[in-house]
Amino acid sequence: MGNTIIQFENVSKSYDDGTVVLKNINFELEKGKFYTLLGPSGCGKTTILRIIAGFTAPSSGNVYFNGKKINNVPAHQRQVNTVFQDYALFPHLNVFENVAFGLRIKKMKEKEIQERVREALKFVNLEGFENREISEMSGGQRQRVAIARAIVNNPEVILLDEPLSALDLKLRYEMQYELRELQQRLGKTFVFVTHDQEEALAMSDEIFVINDGQIQQSGSPVDIYDEPINRFVADFIGESNIVEGIMLEDYKVQFAGKVFDCVDKGMKPNEKVDVVIRPEDLEITSVDKGKLVVTVDTQLFRGVHYELSTYDKDGNEWLVHSLKKAEVGEEIGLYFEPEAIHVMRLNETEEEFDKRLESYGVSENA
Amino acid sequence: MRDRVAKGPLIPYLLWIVFFVIAPIALIIYYSMLDLQGNFTLENYKRFFSPVYLKMAFTSFFYAILITFFTLLISYPTAYFLTKTKHKHLWLMFIIIPSWINLLLKTYAFIGIFGLYGPINAFISVFGIEPKQILFTDFSFLFVSVYIFIPFMIMPIFNSIDKLNPSLVDAARDLGASPFTTFRRVIWPLTIEGVKSGIQVTFIPALSLFMITRLIAGNQVITLGTAIEQQFLVAQNWGMGSTIAVFLVLIMFASMIFTAKRTKGGRV
Repeated sequence: MGNTIIQFENVSKSYDDGTVVLKNINFELEKGKFYTLLGPSGCGKTTILRIIAGFTAPSSGNVYFNGKKINNVPAHQRQVNTVFQDYALFPHLNVFENVAFGLRIKKMKEKEIQERVREALKFVNLEGFENREISEMSGGQRQRVAIARAIVNNPEVILLDEPLSALDLKLRYEMQYELRELQQRLGKTFVFVTHDQEEALAMSDEIFVINDGQIQQSGSPVDIYDEPINRFVADFIGESNIVEGIMLEDYKVQFAGKVFDCVDKGMKPNEKVDVVIRPEDLEITSVDKGKLVVTVDTQLFRGVHYELSTYDKDGNEWLVHSLKKAEVGEEIGLYFEPEAIHVMRLNETEEEFDKRLESYGVSENA
Repeated sequence: MRDRVAKGPLIPYLLWIVFFVIAPIALIIYYSMLDLQGNFTLENYKRFFSPVYLKMAFTSFFYAILITFFTLLISYPTAYFLTKTKHKHLWLMFIIIPSWINLLLKTYAFIGIFGLYGPINAFISVFGIEPKQILFTDFSFLFVSVYIFIPFMIMPIFNSIDKLNPSLVDAARDLGASPFTTFRRVIWPLTIEGVKSGIQVTFIPALSLFMITRLIAGNQVITLGTAIEQQFLVAQNWGMGSTIAVFLVLIMFASMIFTAKRTKGGRV
């Protein structure tokens, strides 16, 4: 508990016109970790960030920072700094002065300002750019200036609002590595907002998947990828095949007209469930060896693998990622291990979900 | 070939500039060097540097600065709060509509309002205060001038504040700036161009005001504008009138240069 830096307690946010953005959000963030708020646009993730930064006040509930309630602390008195989506660099100031902005406000001595700005710029590999105008910097460089401007103040928490979304693909990949490395070198708490699940999986210690103003699931990237709590999470994170099924009894699930062995238990007999199988867990085999028999509809070459869209006799679509090629129109068998089947109860809360997983005896944080 | 095609459409504009910009200024300069008999002389210029005219120039300058200052003082906060309202463009229109009404008409309206038997004097007499001479004072002159210029000042300022990226304000707050510091170090420097345009469209016309000066200030305030009117219409001394006009043009140029865009610097 002593490690908690930010805590949300029953935080809700709605606007005057009645739109509800956040519904009863609860979470705790620990010092020195990389957190990601992941969700589609309009899900409320940016609102959470703005509440932490102090730009927006929650309609109800409390926000704690280092154990102190900060609901009424104005933005300029909080020990957090933000990297904005559009970077929000001051166009009338050059690179040095942008980074020095926060230090000048603190009335720091000129010599110390020089030192710290130089150090921050070195941190983001922008030495020698001090006197450039912002308009002379490329997108990736502006991004770094924005990060330098945030870290130079030595805040406890750095908030990043979709900072990579304006960059091109290659630069985005590079910045993912850099951000993760930067966070580990600084040892600060990062709260990163994104709608890009790949970014979230690659960088985070812990991900909060948010939809419709609620936290759907939180956990390590591996947990969330392997054990999504519901259809939304399974669909949003990675690619998945989701079909409806019936849990006949423990370790027996029926879908696509057949009964399969699985590793899930603890549901009511004959309970309706959603079944997820990731495309990379499906293996192409001959029709007689296959657990499912499907017809190949389309095939795309994705570089590392082929992506096959196939249909079974019931009309369910099965996406397959395979190193092997198939022929369009061909009938093939699909094989998968019992562990590949992930069963999701409908409308299960995160608490119930965690409890059920624990009862399997597998360590969740493996 | 392409060059010729591009030049063709420019001809009407070139003619316009020659006949309506260059020619009038040349004529003014020409007339400024003529005496009452039409002889060439520099006497008018010498006379301009006499105490009478210098004082007039100073008065014009002084009032124009006052008018601009008060107009800015009212317009900036107004424009700022306008951008924060929900139907900002509607409100802006309400403020601009009065500028569509004829200037003379508005000026006459103020003669009625400020008059000895006007509503203001009627109002203060309710509290037992004797009717006062409001018209023909410095105050009424400034008041009416500021009123006239406010819409012209608000428009460019409104546009520059409206264009300001709101996340810059968030960023300043995020970096520890109080609301006042945010204004001083981010909002003001980034909207200064709008303020400069506002000053240009207020200060320059305010220098050469003569109708409001005549009708509202009476003979209490004598500016270069009224002096030009005197010289042309009363004294029939076109030479002296033109000389004053030449100096007005020079002052305007100077103020244009003064408020022109400057190259970006490092610190503020």
